[in-house]
Amino acid sequence: MARFHNSKTKVFVKPIVKKQQQQQQQQQQQPNVDHITGNKIPKSFVFSRGKLPGPLRQLQMDLRKLMLPYTALKLKEKKRNNLKDFLNVAGPMGVTHFLILSKTETSPVLRVAKTPQGPTLTFKIHEYSLAVDIAQSQLRPRCPQDLFKNPPLIVLSGFAAADEQLRLTTMMFKNIFPDIDINTVKLSSCQRIVLLNYNKDTKLIDFRHYSIRLQPVGISRRIRKFVQNHQVPDLRNLQDVSDFITKAGYGSESEADEEAATVTLTSDLSRVNRASTKSAVKLQEIGPRMTLQLTKIEGGLCSGEVMFSEYGNGGNKKKPGNEEGNEKEDGEDSDDDDEADNDEDMEESEED
Amino acid sequence: MVKKKERTLNETESSIDLKSLIHENALFFDKLVELIPARFYLPDEKDKPWFQGLSKAEKASAKKQSRENIKKARRDRLDPEKSSKTTLDLLKENIEKEKSGKDSDAEEEEVEVRPIMPDVVDERSVTYEELRERLRKKIEELRGGRNSSGSEKKKNERNDKKGKKRKRDNGAEEKKVDTTANEKDNVEKDVEEAAKELTFSRVKLGDEDKHGKKKRKLSKLKELENAMKLEAAKKDPEKGEVIAKKHSWKAAMDRAAGIKVHDDPKLLKQSIQKEKKRHKKNAEKWSERVETTQKLKVEKQQKRSENIADKIHQKKMRRIAKREKKLLRPGFEGRKEGFINEGSS
Repeated sequence: MARFHNSKTKVFVKPIVKKQQQQQQQQQQQPNVDHITGNKIPKSFVFSRGKLPGPLRQLQMDLRKLMLPYTALKLKEKKRNNLKDFLNVAGPMGVTHFLILSKTETSPVLRVAKTPQGPTLTFKIHEYSLAVDIAQSQLRPRCPQDLFKNPPLIVLSGFAAADEQLRLTTMMFKNIFPDIDINTVKLSSCQRIVLLNYNKDTKLIDFRHYSIRLQPVGISRRIRKFVQNHQVPDLRNLQDVSDFITKAGYGSESEADEEAATVTLTSDLSRVNRASTKSAVKLQEIGPRMTLQLTKIEGGLCSGEVMFSEYGNGGNKKKPGNEEGNEKEDGEDSDDDDEADNDEDMEESEED
Repeated sequence: MVKKKERTLNETESSIDLKSLIHENALFFDKLVELIPARFYLPDEKDKPWFQGLSKAEKASAKKQSRENIKKARRDRLDPEKSSKTTLDLLKENIEKEKSGKDSDAEEEEVEVRPIMPDVVDERSVTYEELRERLRKKIEELRGGRNSSGSEKKKNERNDKKGKKRKRDNGAEEKKVDTTANEKDNVEKDVEEAAKELTFSRVKLGDEDKHGKKKRKLSKLKELENAMKLEAAKKDPEKGEVIAKKHSWKAAMDRAAGIKVHDDPKLLKQSIQKEKKRHKKNAEKWSERVETTQKLKVEKQQKRSENIADKIHQKKMRRIAKREKKLLRPGFEGRKEGFINEGSS
């Protein structure tokens, strides 16, 4: 008897199992509702449709790491999985966003969609850099242990225009990451930041991902390192300890710049950064770097009416995976037909 | 440069004070020097004793020697009669010695060497000072550019609204823009503009939930009605498109924000159907349950009454048996069954 493909019992629920094993010590699964703000914590799936070349697969992995901890890090997808399957699993697991990577002839495409019926934003990736490339380009790449234990902050710049699509983009990105309650947030949990910058002239969105580091201002480098590392310094060539402390250093180049980006901490952060002293905020880039262009907004989840399209009305969707046929950037209203092939029974397809 | 000229002017004016100032400083330094023991401050004249390559006997003797030296030095130090030479005195002696030493050498060399030395030193110090000045200037400018009241206030207001008092990434914009003094104004303007356009992640301010009352969920039927109305409105020839577009954008924004939007009549109908089915199923289950309980009850009662009747019956049988047993004695011929001739007479 042939093995029937029963989509209801899809077993890429592996991520839950792994998470439980990892968190056995913590005795609880990932919370659905943020106990601080009372809202639902947004979770995401990052996966790809269609076969991706090597670098894009790495990009997918980087994006997964970026979305940690509220994402399935080891999500396994099979060729025969449809979007519908993902949707079915997403419901009970409380996943609210899908980040879908795919490749067309011209460029890779990133789709950000909100389950179950939410809008889908389609971005064309003009350029991208992988996290490993960025780490290799730096002198001292930095990755502390618990960098990915807390969700990142997000800052959007240049999106304040009155365009509907920009406002929708802002809203989507703001809600991909959980809320911050300023009364109870711990400074030590804000360790990463995602920066999105919209350039009005070229209509391109720059996507950057940094790690945040606080460094006290006004302490010489030697003393700071000594207090941080507790390593006995080398006094071989000095006559006196006072030489060690007062050795004239010009100070690093960035010290002058940091005058503009200092903050006053309200609580102790670590040995070196104490409350109510000035600390400089230093950002070091980790994670992927992308240049995106918003090409399409659809009202449904990869379906539904096209609310905005860069290339005229009703631009083509880009889903090479389970479909045959080449995609071109013609303006054709063939959404419903092609969608019907794949996602026939999708409950969530909206009708016009 | 400007600052240097200012400095020379100042110098000429306060030349009189300078001498006393220098004298005071000299006294202060002398006092400091006196505090430091001579052996740390003054360079060591004799070679450092080298104990490594010596034989055992030599090492022993060297140790003895050093121990004796220490004792002697201590006694000398604490001896009130002997005069102790402070570090300062030793330093002065050294200087005297050097001077006398140098004088014995060729004078010409000295003269040549001396003037060159101060120049070189001056040049070096000049460049060092210059660099320091430049650094200070840069810092001041940046500091001044950031602390201008206008941008600061605006920043504070916005930050209070958004609630993010900590991460000021608009600082990054500042950095990139410029650092020279002339373009401070431009920097301010840019910062203001940039700060206007920044949006941060969603923050929850504490006072939000006190105001908003919980919105009641409309019943599904009502929602269906609304959805149908909406669809009808969309089909309206005049304003249909406008309404449709507005609604779709609004729905998209709400959905992106996490609010659930029920606007599809088909889906609503489906969910109503599902609910009905569920309700029916539950009702069936309930009636089944009631039935079973009834049945069980009846059964139990029946069984009980059966058992009771049985018991009574058993009791009766036992009594009869008991009675009969009495008449089962050996040699018993049977019960009295009446006289023989009772029936005939």
